[in-house]
Amino acid sequence: MLTRRELLQVTGSGFGFLALAALAHQQAARASEESGPLAPRETHFAPKAKRVIFLCMEGGPSHVDTFDHKPTLTKDDGKSIPWANGAARGRLKGSPFQFMQHGESGLWISELFPEVAKHADKLCVLNGMHTDRPNHAQAYLQMHCGLFQFPRPSMGAWVLYGLGTVNQNLPGFITINPPSSNGGSANYAASFLPAVYQGTRIQQQSGQETVSNLQNRRRSTETQRLQLDFTQELNRATAESLGESPEIEGLISSYELAFRMQAEMPEVLDLAKETETTRRLYGIEESSRVSGGRGIPAGGSSSGTNNFGRQCLLARRLIEAGVRFVEVTASGWDHHRSLKESLTSSCRAVDKPIAGLLADLAQRDLLKETLVLWGGEFGRSPYAQGDGRDHNSKGFSMWMAGAGVKPGINYGKTDDFGYEAIEGRVHIHDWHATILHLLGLDHERLTFRYAGRDMRLTDVKGNVVNDILA
Amino acid sequence: MVDRFVIRQFSLFLGFCFYCALCLNVAAQERTEPDGLKFFEKHIRPVLVKECYSCHSNASDDIKGKLTLDTRAGIRKGGDRGPTVVPGDVRQSLLIRALRHTDAKLKMPPGKKLPEEVVSNFETWIAMGAPDSRDGDAVVGDKYTADMEQGRRHWAFQQPKTAQIPNVKRTEWPRTDVDRFIMARMESKGLIPVADADRRTLLRRLSFDLTGLPPSTEDMTAFESDPSDQAIERAVDRLLASPRSGEKWARHWLDLARYAESTGKTVNFYYPHAWRYRDYVIAAFNKDKPYDQFIKEQLAGDLMPSDDPGIEAERLIATGFLAIGPKTLNERSGLKYELDIVDEQIDVTTQAFLGITVACSRCHDHKFDPIPQADYYALAGIFRSTEVCYGTVSYINAQRQTRLVTLPEKANVETAAPHLSDRERQQLEAQIKDARNSIRSMKDGLQQFFAQGRISLLQAQLDACEVDGRPKRLAMGVRDKPTPAGTGLRLGSRGRRFGDFTYDGMESIDDSPVYVRGEPDQPGERRVPRGTLQVISTEPLVIAATSSGRLELANWIASRSNPLTARVMVNRVWLQLFGRGLVPTADDFGLAGQQPSHPELLDHLAIRFMEDGWSVKRLIKYLVTSRVYQLSTTADNGAMQVDPDNVFFWRMQPRRFDAECLRDAMLAVSGQLTATPPVGSAVARAGEGPVTGFSRRSALTAVNDPRNTHRSIYLPVIRDNLPESMGLFDGADPSLIVTSRKQTTVPSQGLFLLNNEFVMRAADAMADNLLRVESVPDRIHEAFLGLYGRLPTSGEQSATEKFLKNYQDRLATEGVVEARRPKETWSAFCQAMFASAEFQYRK
Repeated sequence: MLTRRELLQVTGSGFGFLALAALAHQQAARASEESGPLAPRETHFAPKAKRVIFLCMEGGPSHVDTFDHKPTLTKDDGKSIPWANGAARGRLKGSPFQFMQHGESGLWISELFPEVAKHADKLCVLNGMHTDRPNHAQAYLQMHCGLFQFPRPSMGAWVLYGLGTVNQNLPGFITINPPSSNGGSANYAASFLPAVYQGTRIQQQSGQETVSNLQNRRRSTETQRLQLDFTQELNRATAESLGESPEIEGLISSYELAFRMQAEMPEVLDLAKETETTRRLYGIEESSRVSGGRGIPAGGSSSGTNNFGRQCLLARRLIEAGVRFVEVTASGWDHHRSLKESLTSSCRAVDKPIAGLLADLAQRDLLKETLVLWGGEFGRSPYAQGDGRDHNSKGFSMWMAGAGVKPGINYGKTDDFGYEAIEGRVHIHDWHATILHLLGLDHERLTFRYAGRDMRLTDVKGNVVNDILA
Repeated sequence: MVDRFVIRQFSLFLGFCFYCALCLNVAAQERTEPDGLKFFEKHIRPVLVKECYSCHSNASDDIKGKLTLDTRAGIRKGGDRGPTVVPGDVRQSLLIRALRHTDAKLKMPPGKKLPEEVVSNFETWIAMGAPDSRDGDAVVGDKYTADMEQGRRHWAFQQPKTAQIPNVKRTEWPRTDVDRFIMARMESKGLIPVADADRRTLLRRLSFDLTGLPPSTEDMTAFESDPSDQAIERAVDRLLASPRSGEKWARHWLDLARYAESTGKTVNFYYPHAWRYRDYVIAAFNKDKPYDQFIKEQLAGDLMPSDDPGIEAERLIATGFLAIGPKTLNERSGLKYELDIVDEQIDVTTQAFLGITVACSRCHDHKFDPIPQADYYALAGIFRSTEVCYGTVSYINAQRQTRLVTLPEKANVETAAPHLSDRERQQLEAQIKDARNSIRSMKDGLQQFFAQGRISLLQAQLDACEVDGRPKRLAMGVRDKPTPAGTGLRLGSRGRRFGDFTYDGMESIDDSPVYVRGEPDQPGERRVPRGTLQVISTEPLVIAATSSGRLELANWIASRSNPLTARVMVNRVWLQLFGRGLVPTADDFGLAGQQPSHPELLDHLAIRFMEDGWSVKRLIKYLVTSRVYQLSTTADNGAMQVDPDNVFFWRMQPRRFDAECLRDAMLAVSGQLTATPPVGSAVARAGEGPVTGFSRRSALTAVNDPRNTHRSIYLPVIRDNLPESMGLFDGADPSLIVTSRKQTTVPSQGLFLLNNEFVMRAADAMADNLLRVESVPDRIHEAFLGLYGRLPTSGEQSATEKFLKNYQDRLATEGVVEARRPKETWSAFCQAMFASAEFQYRK
């Protein structure tokens, strides 16, 4: 990019016309971006939330051991299943964990979340969640994209498409540490939406969050800009020659974003810019560097709060910088075995970081415009599977906090055993409809025409859960 | 869509299952008059089936309003709006409101009012107390039909039929029968194909599709100057004869075969011998090994004896297909470990060869396809009777080491591992001795454990070589377990243990029981005879007690009478060439998959493929010499309106090259590509051991080595450590069975192209070559020819010259010494071209 001084220099040395043409071109390009696909957009109605942080618990966290208190289940521990179901056999398994009431609201939360429980009065716990399939890949995709039968845009992509983003130098939709399984990148894909709405992945490696290839070791920003301008000139010609080509348009935008990210991303990723107090708040320990992750011996970092703490802190930095939708992932909630030990360690790894995030957002006055979502693709069975629990899609819990939701309430409930949602049932479609509503978007009007149909995140379903709106 | 017959079967089936739970309960509350039931059967049930079930039954694809009307419980419970039928109360019954169309928001059936007579029958019936003979729970979501006969009628489970070649109106358009099928469908939709691609575009397309590499400038010139009709055919023959074509098409197979050189999962250990399977697949495509033979060798090559040691070795290596899958080496239970491996083998076998998923039947009958759990365990018996030989070491928490397959001494095979000198051997032996001695003095069990692991790694280095120092000739693969000694059950614990690791898998050839809900600790009493899927076989496999049944299974899959095998393969080849399968769900030919867009063409290709000796090269040639393959990518507004997804192939779909093509093309056009295949891989040289270990040679550093100039198929494939150049551009995740690559466009790709060392090295190398050309215009010509397969337009020519000048000037401003400026500038230019859409897209 040419500064005014540089412009005068080159004009002075006789390249006036070229330089001016280049500058005009750049300005035109920039202007078109401001009205382009990522520009902030009008919402359908006044939004309560301006941005989203989704704390995604991959694998299906047990609701009956965390946020869905079931005294009857505890009482009937070991008895055979009292309801008729073809697939489910075996014996009831009461929660081995103690539940207590917390805060003024008196929400029941188990001992697994002592830190989050301190923020009980901020939570809106949805106890009547249900989804279509008790299989990971399908349910995980459905939670992200609404449907699992066909490739569909991710919720984050829809939000970005609907709202645009206020910071044109960072991706509007970022996903930190997404799993490669359960649909992998399909969970943050743009699918038929323009590719520019796709989620950008940040990977945690050796305890550092990185976006690869962020720096060029030998070109200055200015020379690289010249180079990219030339590439883009060629690309625009290709786009014209192909007629309608959203792919090439997506390519062009993605390069521009990449270029701008080089300047801004390193700043945002630098967690050292935070105070020690803040870092501790999220459970980030100065000393404990994250071990290599996979490999030998298994385990190691899983119970420490460092990893997830860094993700949560980074999520806050990203939304502060104007990113619209940030998803962070804690994997390994598929507790078929050794429920007591493994669920304890999974919860410990996220409890303090999540509490830290809630506290930090509140103290920075960000929570009132930020919607925080917590949950996994389904819950777990009230009956035992060995010393663990099986999948359960008929009833489970998720929670929301922040912008526009009633704080300190339970909404909906499952039967006495936590098996099936019986009141205040919220399907994933309803959850999506509600999230969009909080962001000022009508899920029936946020559409994109594809294959002859106006497609929606909620397909042909979804009802806004009005009862939880503040 | 499931038809009504199935639905009735389904409700009967459910009724049976839940009889005790529900029927008694309801029957106790209401006595139903026999006359009432007759009325229901005669006047009510047929209408429900005809008018309502398609949206409101457990078997409908998409249950509307969470309402099911195919059970008594369902119709009374109702859906989102509450009870549909309130026995005895016509006014409270939503069903009547819906049928009478009194509520503007609730008019049923949609867009149609039933005759007054029918509606009043419903009122009568409700007034009678809504007697209903149907049982079953109003389960929403659990949809399963176990009806085998019905399932067999699914199109994909029926034999391909020879279709008549259709007549078309535009007789001058078709070049081959493929074109006639395509044109007939287009005409029925009122679509007109776009014009043919120009020759340069076509050769570039052919060259990338058949070899994964761009055409050389010489090939391009020769092709352009040959106007004869045979020019295309000659080019196709030349490309298919190139060893590069095997490297291209093998990669598609390796995606399906989830090829990798490590176990992945919880504790990731190397497979130093996996590369032999990779090379086997490349050679198979290069030799045009008949596809049926290719299938048999991968499933049962060890059971196909040959006098030729070379062929014997090849067939043993082929069975690596069954051994290279992901494994959880820290699994404690030996039985669960075996069942997991078998599950993975069933999964890859049924998906890769048959295009269906069977693995969900491990825990329950398949939800969509007529694949009962018993069929799964019939297959499981075959694989449980098979020993998997994949190596690894016994190491701390990975106690699942197996032997490997030893290749015949006389076979001429290469080895990749380093030679072990006498001195190295002595050193290793001394280290092992020291370690053993030190263990004795250790008191801490954990310490001993780690020391033992270290010994294992040292021992593995020793064991990798013969006494004379030559690396052993080993491969991954499978072989049959021993035949059962005597009779009786051989299941259960064997007593051998390591810590809390058990080794209680099956020791000899045997049938497997069904495991209830897939739980290893819940074997059913009945053992299922080894066999295969009932839905696509009318006669059970005949398997001798002394054989695992793999050969029989392989013969059954690779048979002309298997309705899936040929169809699935021709569809895969079509998918790679056209970007969309004739069956769009190339990974699911079952009931949940989509119907073929051109069923007759699919069958035509499948039959021709089998009659043509299962030759993949001839199939490819047949497809690429069709006119539909040679269409341009131009979008046509009219056609775009009718068929935006190009289901009817009215144009060639433009698409980005896959990760391998992109990287290989950069190497090729920069003149860096090492055409000679490497022996082995970095993993082979690293040897056995954990991927992330301390004090070990590691292959990890080689994964993203920017100096590697071999084709991408030869890059090390370590699970969860995909090379960046692959992972960023939607390369296949080697832990998954990948049927088709996704195509995403994200800024991280842009960052890679702008900043990555590999890309800049390629740009440098290309710049060096260009600088040897005398004039600037000639350099620009050569660059466009090499990268785009065409000359620059005058506009591009001047834009390029302008860029070169601006860039040089900018370097001067920044104080870059003059001598470095030309190279820097031309390198920046080449890199800019790499990042351009035209270079990355197949037009």
